Amino acid sequence: MRRTAGPALLAPAFLVMAAALAAPLGALVLLSFWTQTGFEIDRTFTLANYWRIVEPGPPTWWNGIPFPFAYPVPAILLVKSLAMSLTATAAVILVAWPMAYFLAFRVRRGKAAWIILLTVPFWTSYLLRVFSWKIVLGYNGAVNSGLIALGVIGEPLDFLLYNPVAVMITLTHSWIAFAVLPIYVSLEKIDRSLLEAAADLGDSRWARLRRITLPLSMPGTVAATLLVFIPTVGDYVTPTLVGGTQGTMIGSLVQQLFTRQDNAPMGAAVSIVMMLVIAALVLVFLRAIGWRRMRARAGA
Amino acid sequence: MQRIRFIDRMAQGRMSRREMLASAGAFGVGAILVPVRARASGPLVCLEWAGYDVADYIPAFVEKHGRTPDFAVFGGEEEALAKVRAGFAADVMHPCNYSVSRFVSAGLAREIDTARLSHWPDIFPALKTAEGVLTDGRVVMAPADWGNSSIAYRPDLVDPAFAADPTWGIFFDDAYRGRVSMLDNELLIQIGAMVGGMSYDEAYALSGAALEQAARTWGRKGVEISRFLWTDASEVQQAMASGEIVAAYAWNDLVKNLQAEGIPVAYAVPREGLFTWFCGLTLLNSGRADEALAYDFIDAWLSPETGKLLIEGSGYGHANMKSFEIADPDAVAAMGLRDPVAVMESAILFRTPPDAVQNEHNRVWSDVKALR
Repeated sequence: MRRTAGPALLAPAFLVMAAALAAPLGALVLLSFWTQTGFEIDRTFTLANYWRIVEPGPPTWWNGIPFPFAYPVPAILLVKSLAMSLTATAAVILVAWPMAYFLAFRVRRGKAAWIILLTVPFWTSYLLRVFSWKIVLGYNGAVNSGLIALGVIGEPLDFLLYNPVAVMITLTHSWIAFAVLPIYVSLEKIDRSLLEAAADLGDSRWARLRRITLPLSMPGTVAATLLVFIPTVGDYVTPTLVGGTQGTMIGSLVQQLFTRQDNAPMGAAVSIVMMLVIAALVLVFLRAIGWRRMRARAGA
Repeated sequence: MQRIRFIDRMAQGRMSRREMLASAGAFGVGAILVPVRARASGPLVCLEWAGYDVADYIPAFVEKHGRTPDFAVFGGEEEALAKVRAGFAADVMHPCNYSVSRFVSAGLAREIDTARLSHWPDIFPALKTAEGVLTDGRVVMAPADWGNSSIAYRPDLVDPAFAADPTWGIFFDDAYRGRVSMLDNELLIQIGAMVGGMSYDEAYALSGAALEQAARTWGRKGVEISRFLWTDASEVQQAMASGEIVAAYAWNDLVKNLQAEGIPVAYAVPREGLFTWFCGLTLLNSGRADEALAYDFIDAWLSPETGKLLIEGSGYGHANMKSFEIADPDAVAAMGLRDPVAVMESAILFRTPPDAVQNEHNRVWSDVKALR
């Protein structure tokens, strides 16, 4: 009985994962090897969709970077999405880390209340939060009317909304709480006696931060980085609502391929390539920072 | 205690399928384990233009059935087509003269039995036989509403030269960068080609290298100039009301709505031409509801009361001749022409190219937007 109880306990989660993740992913992979002609899907196995993504051609210039592809749209959007997502992730970590530090080291009473307060934004739907940014940054939105009322500007600023910066601001705000919690947990776990010992041995406040707190918080920080970076690359709701004509990301292309362009197999191929590129980047990143060593040290 | 025993028994395989299903059902899991029985009928599901998804346009249906259908809204027909093709079980769709053929060629449209529509005899005869309504002698769309597509602009905010001689060129003019908004539609490329001197008849059917060229020249420029490409009429209406944009691609209702708010707005007759369209209701074979519900819905749309509301509230025309008799004469007079045939002849009627060309336009348009 003991031997079977474990798998049985895992079964519900496993079934949900199989039905809701593995099966659709399998379908997506299968779909990406088919082709669409008009209203029909041709079910013969082919690599045509993948070839189309990498097929060389005359270079298309985008922001000074040449993309030597016959169909450069996926490549350009992938690079653009990665850049936007990396910037947003960096911003999230920069804002979230001090918040987590404050929570772990400065807050003594009512920690639970602080943590609940952090999650307050999640009591509203993601869509509404994105929409609120539209109201904040809009032409007659909060920022503009505030500045006009203060007499700082005479005319509303129209560069606040409908551009990549608006997308990054919105993404940063939306994902902060996801980053604060893992960083907080790893900061909270730090043995305070290490800091005392370092202080006794004459380390300054900065030296302690650099040599003890930062390295020991890395597992949480790295987890937070991945938690924010991976889902934001493929986001399409945010660019659609606040990105205007310049904020298109790769997720928007996948959505367009599945709907308007009526080319689901190509959409599937673009999503698979996107997932592979993200996975490769994450592996390179983890290797570069020596994740294994870090885990071992934090666990010790 | 109970729960642990359940897991143990399950683990030991001492549980019958029936017990298992009963327990799973308590958590709603049962639904995916029992065979799905095909539903004979359900609520009516309608794919509607955003803004038309309200009870006001179908009073007869709401009165008879006590509720509105389940609406799913769309911002463009190609989007709606993709949704139905992806498996969305809609019963009725609201396409237009230029887009209904796409649903027919996708094998989704069903013939409408006009004998089941009580208002059919009052429909303008010319609309009953218009291209789009009839396909191979079968009625595939019951004509309902008609109107224009043109440039709505703020006369107080645009250059007087534009107001004196309006042109679609405003969507490609650097002087209006970030001050105009075009519909999120491949039409932008076609309009660009028209600004470049091409006729609509050539522009809508552009394909191959000529289409790519037009997309590079006009599509890219137009996407750069627009502050945003609109899909939601309320968004563009608000942007126009605040002065964020000074001109936009618009249908008659935007002008009517803004005027009602007391905002100065005018509807242009551009030198390259004014567009016109008529739309209607199409029965889809993807639906699950009782067919009678769908006929009630279409019939409600064709009622003169709906026409009166369209004429007075939106400045649109209606397919039912009686609508014009019961509508406010001032509103009818403000529309100018009240005969749809005269309207269609006075302006450019939208058309759809063959499916392969339409798919090409969809692709080129997406690429143009992506490369901004």
